[in-house]
Parts: sequence; C-alpha cells; structure tokens
Amino acid sequence: MNSALSLWLFYLLCVVFAPILVLGTIRKTKARLQNRIGPPLLQPLFDLVKLCRKSETLSKTMCGIFRLASVISLADMLLIAWIAPWLCYKPGPDSADIFLIFYLFALTRMFTMLGALDSGSAFGAFGASREATLSLLVEPAALLGFISIGALTGSSDLLQILSFSNAQLSGSPGIWLLVGTAVLLANLVESSRMPVDDPTTHLELTMVHEAMILEASGRNLALIEYTHALRMTILLGLSVQCFMRAIPSIWNAEPAVQGLINLTGIFFLAVLIGIFESISVKLQWRKVPEFIAYSLTMSLLASLIAIGGRAMK
Amino acid sequence: MNASNPEIYVIAAAIVATLMPGSLHIRVNLWFYGIVTFLVAIATALTAIGHAEFGLLGVALLIAVLKAVGIPLSLLWTSGRLNVSRDKGCFLPAPLAMHSSILLLGASFFLTKDLPLPVVENGGGGWLGAAAGISLIFTGLILMLTRRLAISQILGFLIIENGIFVFALTQTRGMPLFVEMGVMLDVLVGVMIGGVLIFKIQKSFEHIDVAQLTDLRD
Repeated sequence: MNSALSLWLFYLLCVVFAPILVLGTIRKTKARLQNRIGPPLLQPLFDLVKLCRKSETLSKTMCGIFRLASVISLADMLLIAWIAPWLCYKPGPDSADIFLIFYLFALTRMFTMLGALDSGSAFGAFGASREATLSLLVEPAALLGFISIGALTGSSDLLQILSFSNAQLSGSPGIWLLVGTAVLLANLVESSRMPVDDPTTHLELTMVHEAMILEASGRNLALIEYTHALRMTILLGLSVQCFMRAIPSIWNAEPAVQGLINLTGIFFLAVLIGIFESISVKLQWRKVPEFIAYSLTMSLLASLIAIGGRAMK
Repeated sequence: MNASNPEIYVIAAAIVATLMPGSLHIRVNLWFYGIVTFLVAIATALTAIGHAEFGLLGVALLIAVLKAVGIPLSLLWTSGRLNVSRDKGCFLPAPLAMHSSILLLGASFFLTKDLPLPVVENGGGGWLGAAAGISLIFTGLILMLTRRLAISQILGFLIIENGIFVFALTQTRGMPLFVEMGVMLDVLVGVMIGGVLIFKIQKSFEHIDVAQLTDLRD
C-alpha cells in the first residue's frame, strides 16, 4: 500500500514539475549558449502563477468553445499522461493502445484549433490552418514508427511493445534508434519548436502555435501553456523510452536504474533541443515539409526493418 | 551481428545514401557522400583483415583519403568557385525523392534475397551486402534523375560507382589490387574531367543547369 502511494506521489510530482523543468532547461541552455545567465529553471512555474493571478479578456464574438477548448485540451493531455508509458514507473491502465494515444493527441490539437477559430481573429484562423497542415504531415511519421515495432511484437499495445521482458526486440537497436529519432523530430514539429516554429516570436509571418493562442490571456493562457509543455514532455519521454531500448545493457539493468535513466534522458534531450535551437534558424514555411520528410524517412526505414524482420522469421 | 562485420557498414552506407536525395544543398550532399564513402572504406578494411588480403587494406586507405575526403573537398571548391550552393531539383520534390529511394532500398532487399549469388568460401558477403550495393546504385540513379546541376550529376555517378564497388567487395573476395587502383584512377579522372566540363559549361551557358542544356546557343 505504501509503495503504491509513493508511486502515485512520484508520478504526480513528475506530471506537475517535469514539463516546467523541461521548458526551463531548454530556456536555460539557450541563454547559456548566448552568454546570458538566463531565467531560473522554475521560471515557467512563476510565469504560470503570474498568469493565474491576471484577469482575462474575452472578445465579444466568442462562444463558449474558446474557454472550453483549453480545459478539454488539458484534461485530454492529463489522460494521455496517465495512459502513455512515457515514464518507467507510473500508475496507469493495463493496456495503452498506440492508436488511442496518438488520436488523443490529435483530439487536443483539434480543440486548440477550434479555440483559435472561435476567437474570431484573423491570426487565429491562419495559425489553425498552418497547424492543420503540420499535423497532417507529422502524423504518419510518428505513428508509422510505433506501428512498425508493433508489427514485430504482434501487438498495438504500447505497454507490451515497450516491455523489457520482450526479449525478441533486444537484439535490434537499429529499429529503436530510428523510431526514437522519428518521434523526437515529430516532437519538434508537434510542440512548435525551432526549425518549424519559433516559440519566442510574435511576428505574424512566422507564428504557428503562437498565432493560435494570441487571444488567450490570464488563466486560460496558463492552462494552454502548461498543456503544451506537458505534451512536449510526454513525447520526449516516449522517444527516451525508445532510445533506452537501443542500448542492450539497459535491458537487464535494475528497474531503479532504468527509471533514473529515463528521467535523465528526458532532460538530456531537452538540453539537446536547446543546443539545436541555438544553432539552427527557423525554416521558411515552404521548406518545412522537407524537414518533416526526415522524420517520415526514419519511420519508413523502421518499417522496412520490421517487414524484413517478419519476412526472415 | 557484431561490429566487425563489414555488412553492417555497407548497410549503414546504403541508409545514409538514401538521405542524400532529401537535401538540395550541395554542401550537405557532399558531407553525406563523404560519410557514405568512409563507411565503405571501413567495410573494405574489415574485409581485408577478415580475408587476410593486405592489398585490399591499401585500397581501403586510398578510398578513405582520396574518395571520402579528396573528392568532396574538390567538388566543394568547384561549387564555391561557380557560386552554386543549392540545386533547384526537377521532376520529383526532394522529400518524395528521398522516400522513393527508401522504397527502392526495401525493394533491393527483396530482390537480392532470391538472387542466385556466388557462394564464396571463407565467409564472403551474404545477400545483405549485395542488397546494399544494389540500393546504392538505385539511390545514385534517383539522384541523377531528380537533379539539375551538373555537380549533382557527378555526385549521383559517384554514388553508383560506390554501389558497384560494394557489390563487388561483398560478392567476391575483393578485386585484385591493380584492377581496384585502375578503377580508382578512372573515378578520379572522371571527377576531374567533370569539374573541367562544369567550368566550361558555366563559361559558355552562364549556368550549369542540365535541364536547360537542350536550348541551342550560338
């Protein structure tokens, strides 16, 4: 009983603080690389608290969907955080279907877009249209990778796919690396990070995600920001889970060590994203499909390995 | 599979080569070409050690120095002199070209699995090496088909040459040293003549776009 309680406590701490710390780590890394001291690691939390204290401005054209959208998105993301195995140790249901998880992600996106359209501003509409284009491009990339591992395991349950007792996949680091990279690249697009969208800019020509939430303020904005950070952390966690399985010695490691590597891996990837954002520039909108194509490439290669692996059996 | 198996490196080379059609930047393509050729050189060296044929070790060294470093550097210099950094591409957009070369990578695995390959005693390469070689040839073809600049055409040709070399390396016990050095010389001369030709085309047509070479000019 005691261990179940501590598991839940650890999990809740992770859900609340990991997204904030991941965002803080990325900002800190970028600041250090620009020779600045940068905000403290918990600055995103302070920002959220500040936003919660502020009053909210709503446009007259809005119906209820605008405010409802952010609440539904958060609820949906918390549901994904409970279902998806992005941490080694977490309470959750007995099965986590890949399709369910990825289409719950799509549901969040749909409500964010609906909220943007509801705000009645021209920016919201074009942000939503760009987001729809991006999601169309990135969805096959993220999904195909996991499906190809699923084809090797013979199950679409992510818990079974990622189970360490599943020794038949321990000897193929290539497919895990490819899927991990595909999810990581897809994550850059999904969470509107640098080469696709600049999270710090408010220039109308370049915004995607920022354009959609331009009308949000106060608590509403706080909810949206937190949901966004949580989405990035869950996807980072999923790619770390894949990368971990590419290293053979982790398969037989102690569970505590695996959990530790998982958490460290998430922050390591956050630092990597920070470095990548410092040295890369935002791509032209027309060049974005070329970038996303690399993510799809990784997934296609993974599916080739899966087909080859099945054919050789 | 352990890390001293040459097949791993040729398959890695084939996979890296499939990424080449995805980028239109000459510099990125040259980097990829360097990596592919270096992986082929490693595979050659491992084959040489595995078969105790030390002539092949010299070939590996030549590949690593001349083809993996020398040719990309000279082509980089050429592109710098001609002031071209980006291919416009034709016929197929870059992402689709990359995806089709991956599909061809898959196709070449299925093709070679049923191919009657020569059985070489003392190891030799299996069908995986042959698949990597054929896939490299396909990738080179796609690169040549979908590009407009003459430099990219040379790159496609070089990838095809790599593919033929990989096929020969994995299916035989390595070619005799003299044949290999002759091929190497041909490639070098080919690149040099290609470079000179590009300069000449640039001088008389003011561009190196092969898609526009059909226009007559007095």
